[in-house]
Amino acid sequence: MDGLSDFPNLGTGIGLRPPHYADVAAGRARVDWLEVISENFMVEGGNPRRVLRAVRERHPVVLHGVSMSLGSVDPLDDRYLDALAALAREVQPAWISDHLCWSSFGGHSAHDLWPLPYTEEALEHVAARIARVQERLGRRILVENVSSYVTFRHSTLSEWEFLTALAERADCGLLLDINNVFVSARNHGFDPIAFLDGVPAARVGQYHLAGHSDKGTHLLDTHDHPVCDDVWALFRHAVRRLGPRATLLERDDDIPPLDELCAEAQRAADVAAGAEAA
Amino acid sequence: MKLGDTQARFAALVTARDSVAEIAVRDTAARAAVDAMIVGDAGLSAVERLDVYASMYFVRLHDVLRGEYARTLAVVGGEAFHGLVTDYLEACPPRDPSLREAGARLPGFLAGHALGRARPWLAELARLERARLEVFDGPDATPLSIAVLSQLPPARFAGLRLALVPAHRVLAARFAIAETWRSDDPASVAPPRETSETLIVWRRDGEVFHRPADADEAHWFPRLSAPDGVAFEVVCAQLADTRGLVGSAARAFELLARWAGEDLIKAP
Repeated sequence: MDGLSDFPNLGTGIGLRPPHYADVAAGRARVDWLEVISENFMVEGGNPRRVLRAVRERHPVVLHGVSMSLGSVDPLDDRYLDALAALAREVQPAWISDHLCWSSFGGHSAHDLWPLPYTEEALEHVAARIARVQERLGRRILVENVSSYVTFRHSTLSEWEFLTALAERADCGLLLDINNVFVSARNHGFDPIAFLDGVPAARVGQYHLAGHSDKGTHLLDTHDHPVCDDVWALFRHAVRRLGPRATLLERDDDIPPLDELCAEAQRAADVAAGAEAA
Repeated sequence: MKLGDTQARFAALVTARDSVAEIAVRDTAARAAVDAMIVGDAGLSAVERLDVYASMYFVRLHDVLRGEYARTLAVVGGEAFHGLVTDYLEACPPRDPSLREAGARLPGFLAGHALGRARPWLAELARLERARLEVFDGPDATPLSIAVLSQLPPARFAGLRLALVPAHRVLAARFAIAETWRSDDPASVAPPRETSETLIVWRRDGEVFHRPADADEAHWFPRLSAPDGVAFEVVCAQLADTRGLVGSAARAFELLARWAGEDLIKAP
């Protein structure tokens, strides 16, 4: 990969969500950039597309998908990719990202981010599909690690070994979700530092930060809380080890007022600056 | 274990109507298969870990459908709606990458469901809710405005093509659903009158509207749904056939002014 030129450090952003559409479109988001859920805007017209056009006039925008289903054994959905390519032509996003997961099987869509076994077979399968997606979209994409609640017995690689090999084989970048690393580490009993130390800095193009819920027996990736101290500490380590990157604060439930969310995003900028200077 | 086999087993368990724990209790072979596939520990067994996904699958889809069919939910109540959606997801699992499409087949399913058979107007209420959602983010178009009409030379009216803006739905109903919609208290709403009613659903300045069509509109809206629509002179001629020459021109212009005033007609 040609360094990180495909994924410039845009600064700190937030995910654009419906409660904030009007305020963000009116220019009241004090952030550097916005990430939008691609599928929410793969519609023919109306308010969503109007808002996106207004937001794009003011901010860099990244398209973040949840339904590409890169790991599924179902065929890639050409209709979906055509719609995504059309949206990208209109929006001219800084980049496009999706998840290392599968969300469709037998023609049915789960609308969830189901985990993969970390095997050589899965690695080969997903790498080939990412290569096809990148060819179709005419650009490299970022692939995000997901929170998971199961470990498959037949996995032969750690998650970070899988991601590292995948990025090399598919020639894609990685979107490192720090909260997902933390959640999965707790749920599966691995060291999150080992994860961060195990991924190649040259492939990491973006960070995600979010909150989660503690269910007692496991952590659930709910995006309904502020980022917790442990995840901030992990983020500091990531910046020190991998370098500063475009960083995005996600919130999908119990969404606070825009100013509050932007203030938390500003904290991410401050933490990154502090970690870099340390 | 091959990737395809892993995904088949995982998807079947996680999207089943019963929880993975319920399946594991009655099917020891299924329990053994889960334990052979997933690592469990003292905190969470393999079955409990799969059930995290099963729970998320149903919670997400139920949440989306509750929001999409809020009035249908209010009429039937939470428990009955939950049962309806559970039956629906079993019969019509989502097929589209967009979550927006997950509930697209619910009105049709409801028509044949016990809830819909007991109250046949429910499916029509759900169909109206779905139509409003589809119109909300339907294709954009510039509407024909009264200002443009007023500048149109008289000689051009005859050939003016009247086509509805693309973000619209024309619904043929057997009940007075629009009255039911206006109810402030859907939970205690009386069954609507049984009557043949055509509803037009459309978007104006980003907001979705619907209203019953009058008799002339009920005839014309389906025809104006075609992309090329109908020439104004055809509307005038047919009104003259049915109403006679006296008053038909005034009626034609009355309809045109109403439709343009509501942003229902696409600009030529």
